[in-house]
Amino acid sequence: MERRELTSPHPDAARWRPRLAAGVRMRMDPAAGRALLLFPEAALELNETAAAIIRLCDGRHPLAAIAGELAREFGADAKIADEVADFVAAMRARRLVE
Amino acid sequence: MSIAALAPPRSLVAELTYRCPLGCLYCSNPIDFARSQDELTTAEWQAAFAQAAQIGVLQLHLTGGEPLLRDDLTELVASAHACGLYINLITSGLGLSGSRLAALRDAGLDHVQLSLQDADEAGADQVAGARAHRRKLEVARTVARLKVPLTLNFVVHRLNLDRLGAMIDLAVGLGARRVELASAQFHGWALLNRRYLMPSRAQNDRAEALARAAAARLRGVIEVAFVRNDYLVGAPKPCMGGWGRGTIVIDPAGRALPCQAAASIPGLEFANVRTHPLGAIWRDSPAFNAWRGVAWMKEPCRSCAMRERDFGGCRCQAFALAGDPAAADPACELSPHHDAIRAALAEPSENVEPVYRAARASRAVSVARTSGKN
Repeated sequence: MERRELTSPHPDAARWRPRLAAGVRMRMDPAAGRALLLFPEAALELNETAAAIIRLCDGRHPLAAIAGELAREFGADAKIADEVADFVAAMRARRLVE
Repeated sequence: MSIAALAPPRSLVAELTYRCPLGCLYCSNPIDFARSQDELTTAEWQAAFAQAAQIGVLQLHLTGGEPLLRDDLTELVASAHACGLYINLITSGLGLSGSRLAALRDAGLDHVQLSLQDADEAGADQVAGARAHRRKLEVARTVARLKVPLTLNFVVHRLNLDRLGAMIDLAVGLGARRVELASAQFHGWALLNRRYLMPSRAQNDRAEALARAAAARLRGVIEVAFVRNDYLVGAPKPCMGGWGRGTIVIDPAGRALPCQAAASIPGLEFANVRTHPLGAIWRDSPAFNAWRGVAWMKEPCRSCAMRERDFGGCRCQAFALAGDPAAADPACELSPHHDAIRAALAEPSENVEPVYRAARASRAVSVARTSGKN
């Protein structure tokens, strides 16, 4: 996947508390009943898991805590920490999360 | 097209006014803009925004002319925000004080797209036909200070393409999150000034290479987006992402258009949001259905593998250069009208007088067209 080349790891990943970048916000799409991430150039549709992660990107939760919450909400899975980290890194590469 | 298959519009471009303090040579407003003086009221715009949100619009782009010339801008932003719309202000910046920007931000403005004409003051002011560049830089600093996300937009052409690197440096220095280097699109005023603005192929190639390198080098610092010159690419741009496919434009007098240049195509009638609900306009109006989908296409578009990706290119350009809005965009090398593009590229740029966008020039051109052959 191209994101491995695009993303440099966060300089202080252990203490990083991800949050939405300025100009990015999440809202529900009443038509589709889905969460949307809005930013100046476009809108991204989020599935249920992605929306749950983004909701926790509030500048208060470290990455590990987000993965913990996700595991509680969607059932524990050994891979979930990696999946959360990958997703947040991809969002950071698009400058939607900082 | 069946109603079931019709996706909702996702973005609304609201041209709040055609008044503007600048006279840019490439302005995208219609050449006869001075005819339109009957601007929608505050309540009429608010009703349009509410209807837009209801039918699925997510993004609202407030533009003009210069939208800051509307005294009710903050009120309009507040009501659009209350509808849940993501609000982008596209502005020259002239008239944007710190206190006004703070009020707009507090009313729910999400993002500012500021136009600059060049990295060089004299060059910028020459293209705008006004002493504006220095004030724009101050506005950019104000936007950064108030922490409103900022995109800088440079329309690029023969006169400024050689300073592309300086434009990118300027955008980094001003703290923009994104810089758009958008090749002039030859409609309206830019078409009048085409010979004056058209870059050479070599000049354009150098600039594109520089933009690509900068985009890679500055990843994580700023997003560098270069919009290519379709005359030089040999393939059409997917204009508006397809006619009537995702965007509604409302002009200052309330006419709903599939694109900002649509009124340049004769014979199209545009419904007005004063008299028609936006949802019905989107679904049923002849103008929005004129070139929706692919069924209207002629060859070579009809059987082309790209037809669902470039949608045959730009209808306005097909009319302007081939005289037929249903023809393949002449920008495409496969178009039987591609000679019009080759001929335009062969025109010399010396000894050409530029035409500045101004009400007087607009009336003169409109009168000439009404009484003349067109």
